[in-house]
Parts: sequence; structure tokens; C-alpha cells
Amino acid sequence: MSEPIIQTQGLDFYFKDFKALDQVSLNVPRGSIYGFLGPNGAGKTTTIRVLLDLFHPQRGQVSIFGKELLDHREEILGKIGALIENPSIYKHLSGRQNLEVVRKMVGGKKERVEEVLKIVRLVDNADKKAKNYSLGMCQRLGLAAALLTDPELLILDEPTNGLDPSGIIEMRELILRLNKDHGKTIFLSSHILSEIEKLATDVAIIDQGKILYEGKLDGLKNEGSSLQLTIELDHVDTATKVLQKQGFAITETYHNGLLLTIKSKQEIAEINQLLVASGVQVYQLSSSQENLEAVFLNLTKKLDQ
Amino acid sequence: MNSVTALKRGIGAELYKFRRTFILWFLVLAPAFVPFINLMIFVKKGHELVGPDDNPWERLVQMSIDPGNFLFTFFVMIVALFVSSIEQNSNTWKLIYTQPLSRLVVYTSKVLVFMLMLLFSLLLFSVFTILVGLSLKVMVPDLGFDQAFGMGLFFQLAIKIFLATLGYASLQFWMSQRWKNLLLPLGIGIGGWISFLILSQGWKYVEYHPYGFPMLGLGNYQDPAYEWLSELKFVYRSVGLAAVVFVLAGLDMVRKRVV
Repeated sequence: MSEPIIQTQGLDFYFKDFKALDQVSLNVPRGSIYGFLGPNGAGKTTTIRVLLDLFHPQRGQVSIFGKELLDHREEILGKIGALIENPSIYKHLSGRQNLEVVRKMVGGKKERVEEVLKIVRLVDNADKKAKNYSLGMCQRLGLAAALLTDPELLILDEPTNGLDPSGIIEMRELILRLNKDHGKTIFLSSHILSEIEKLATDVAIIDQGKILYEGKLDGLKNEGSSLQLTIELDHVDTATKVLQKQGFAITETYHNGLLLTIKSKQEIAEINQLLVASGVQVYQLSSSQENLEAVFLNLTKKLDQ
Repeated sequence: MNSVTALKRGIGAELYKFRRTFILWFLVLAPAFVPFINLMIFVKKGHELVGPDDNPWERLVQMSIDPGNFLFTFFVMIVALFVSSIEQNSNTWKLIYTQPLSRLVVYTSKVLVFMLMLLFSLLLFSVFTILVGLSLKVMVPDLGFDQAFGMGLFFQLAIKIFLATLGYASLQFWMSQRWKNLLLPLGIGIGGWISFLILSQGWKYVEYHPYGFPMLGLGNYQDPAYEWLSELKFVYRSVGLAAVVFVLAGLDMVRKRVV
């Protein structure tokens, strides 16, 4: 396997006393669409800011294209296009002028502005003032700016955030096209699982600053070959206490039941016995294969308990 | 890429982004304000202001430089705010700091563009003032604006004020870069300026008050024997302070977390 395009080792980052990143180690394969998944506030944007040298980690290393970020900052940034959270756009300028500001910073030919406008399909609105742009257009303009240097690697932070369904589909198609036709590696963060599922070849899951999983998307599905057990019962609180005491991870509680993840069918019997022994009336036990969403919830919720 | 190319790119982008902004108008119109009022005054009441043996140019210099110098402090605060708020308002700090230019280059470009704006407006102020005098020569010939006068004085004073301003301008610049809140640098700036005006009534160390360098350093420019390169200690103090503050602010920006 070729060397990862992004490699981080043991990144720690603190906001004052709050540990936002805890030993974050990532390996992003070249040519992949790498989904960086986690709930809001998990540390996704912080990680991205560290990758782009906007934040400086207290510990750990970042190397991109096989080179240390801090030692080769400008060289590396010249080969990365980035779109971070809310769009960075000069509202008083037109779309084309916005790209011109960036082009002046990165150098390159004037024609490139037209090329990227075409790629993101913004040619018709290029001369409108950016303050009249819809959010979707702002995102596409941001992406166009990221593409100006024809970068090998795109780092996109929640690129579909705030877009309407057609905007989301358009952005998704664009990302796939950039990966397949233009051969770009794409590092993509999102808190929406279905988004990542549709795009990513590789994923990492982060929660509370820790990486919980990293690998192929298929691998995550296999890892989730555990079972989901839905139990219908009368005393939810008692049942929750009893099961948690025994180390079971409860994914959700309802007014008349629980949802939890188990590893084997044997555990169903064990759970039933536990509940009955503590005086809980069990009405129904049903198990099903876990889907990706459950894997995700399960991974990220275990930490809360 | 060598640092000159990098700096050219930084400055090019920096200048380009001020297109279609209010600040460009401000840089041109603000320096026209005092000259325009002076033109009105001289047209209406010129004869009361200029005695029969006076050179009206001297009167014009005085009526331009004093109010100009007073208002310029506010001008500096506003320009410092504009230069940073263009990024704050558009959320573009992260855009410019993820481009393949070093943070130092991005920062230095901003500093240079800021200083350029101040110098540009000051020189424009001199040009406008001279134009007022020349217009009066035509509009009200008997005021005597056809008398000889060294126009170079206007530019000498502009350059001296520029240098003596850099000290507190650097403070305003740093504050504006650092804080998202626009009122804070403005409040501190106005406080600094007013405190100088009060302290200049008799405080022993007022000579070291950065907001006062332009006023103290100007000297008695109405004296016919005025030498613009005299009383340079205020210029030195101002430039020295600016050097220190710009370096500190630069270190701050290089290390800063960009949100």
C-alpha cells in the first residue's frame, strides 16, 4: 500500500483545560474519499484546523504528502484546497472577484478562474455580488476557490451543511466527480452518516476528541456485525440500571422499552435472566442485524455511559 | 518562491479585495473634508482672515494642518478597523491563512497596505490643500494667493505627520486585528487621544504619550525659519514604538489560532 496522503500521530489539542483532541492518529489513503464522521462538537473541525495549520496542537505530528506540515507549510498548503465550516467569502465582491483575490495569493493563470467556475457550475452567476448568493452557491464558490491551485487533496468540512436536498445532491455529485475524474483525494467531514455512507471509501469516527474507528467503510459494516436487541418491558429505569451495571451498552431508551447492542445471541438469554431476576416484566425480545447508523450511534454512545 | 514574490502576491490580493468598498471612497473623501471647508471659508470670509501684508498661504497652512492633525487620529482608527474588519465580517481569516503564503507574508502585506493607505491619504490631503490655494488664486484674486510660497512644506508636514503617527497607528492596527469587537479599539483609541489632550496641559511625561507624537513633533511650522527635519525625537519615538508593536503583533498573528 502506498504511503498515506495525510498521516497524523497522537494529536492532542486543548482549549484551555478542555481536551478537544485526544491522541488523534489518522491515515488517509491516497485517492480515497475519506469520511471523517462524528457528532457535533466531537473534534472534527478542530482536527481539520490542525491539518491546515490554523491551530497548533500541543502534542503530536502531522505529515501530509509524506512531509512534516510545520517544516513544509507553504509547499503543502499549495497542494491542498480547503473549505472550512461557514463559507469564507467577501460579500461585497462578485464570485469571480472573490476567486481573483485568492488567485492573486496563490499565483497561477487567469484562465484557471474560468475553469473552476465551470467545474462548480457557477459561470452564470459569477458576476453577481456574493452577498446575493444562496448558501449552496456560497459553498460552491468556496469549493471553486479551493480548486484554484488544482490541489491533489481537498479538505472539506461539512460541505453539505445547510444545503437543501438538491444542493446536497449536487455537492455529492461534485465530490464524486472530483475524486473519479480529477483524481483528487478528498477528506470530508460530516455529522451525517448517510452522507458519508454514500460517498466515502474510507472512514474514521471521532467522538469526544478520540478516534473510535478508522478503516474501510466495509470494515465498519463488518465490525458492526453485532446484533441490535429491542426489548419491550415495563420498568425501563430499573432495566437500564441493571443492564448498565453488567456492562451492556444501551443505545436508546423508550417509554416502554430499550434498544441495545449485543455481540451474540447468548447474551439475549443472559439479559432476559437478568431482567426477570430483578423483577422486570419482559414482553418481547427481538434482535436484528445492526446497520451502519447503529454502529455509529453505538460507537459514539458507549463513551457517554 | 522568494519572499519578494510572496509579498507582491499578498499585497496584490490585499489591495484587490478593497474594490467596491466604502473604504476606498473614505481614503479619498476624508482628506478632502478640511480643504473643502477651508475653500468655503476663504471664499466667504477670506478678507477677514488675511491681513493686507500677510501671505494667505501661511494662513491656509495653519487652517489646514491643525484641524487636519486633530481629525487624522480618528481617521487612523477607522482605517485600522476597516483593514481588519474586511476579514472579520467575511470570515476570511481562515481563507487567507490557508493559502500557500506564510503567515508572516500575509500579515506583512496587511501592515504595508495599512501604512500605504495612511500615507496616500495624507499626501492627498496636501494635494487638495494646494488645489484650494490655487483655486482661490483664480476665484478670489485679491486675497493674494499669487504670492510665492514653498509648496514643499505641505508634503514635508504630511510625511512628518505620517511618521509621527505610526506609533499609535500600530497600536490601533494590532487591537483591530486581534479583537472581533470593533468598539474596543475605537474606545481605547479615543481614550488615548483624549487623555493626551488632557495630559498635555501639564503632565511631565506627556512627551512620551504615543497619541501625542504627531502634534508635539510638528513644531512651530508657522515660523518662517521652520525646519521640518527638526524636533525629530517624536518621530524617532513613534517609529521605534511602531517597530516594536508591529513585530509583537506579527508574532501574535503567526502564533494565533485562526478561527
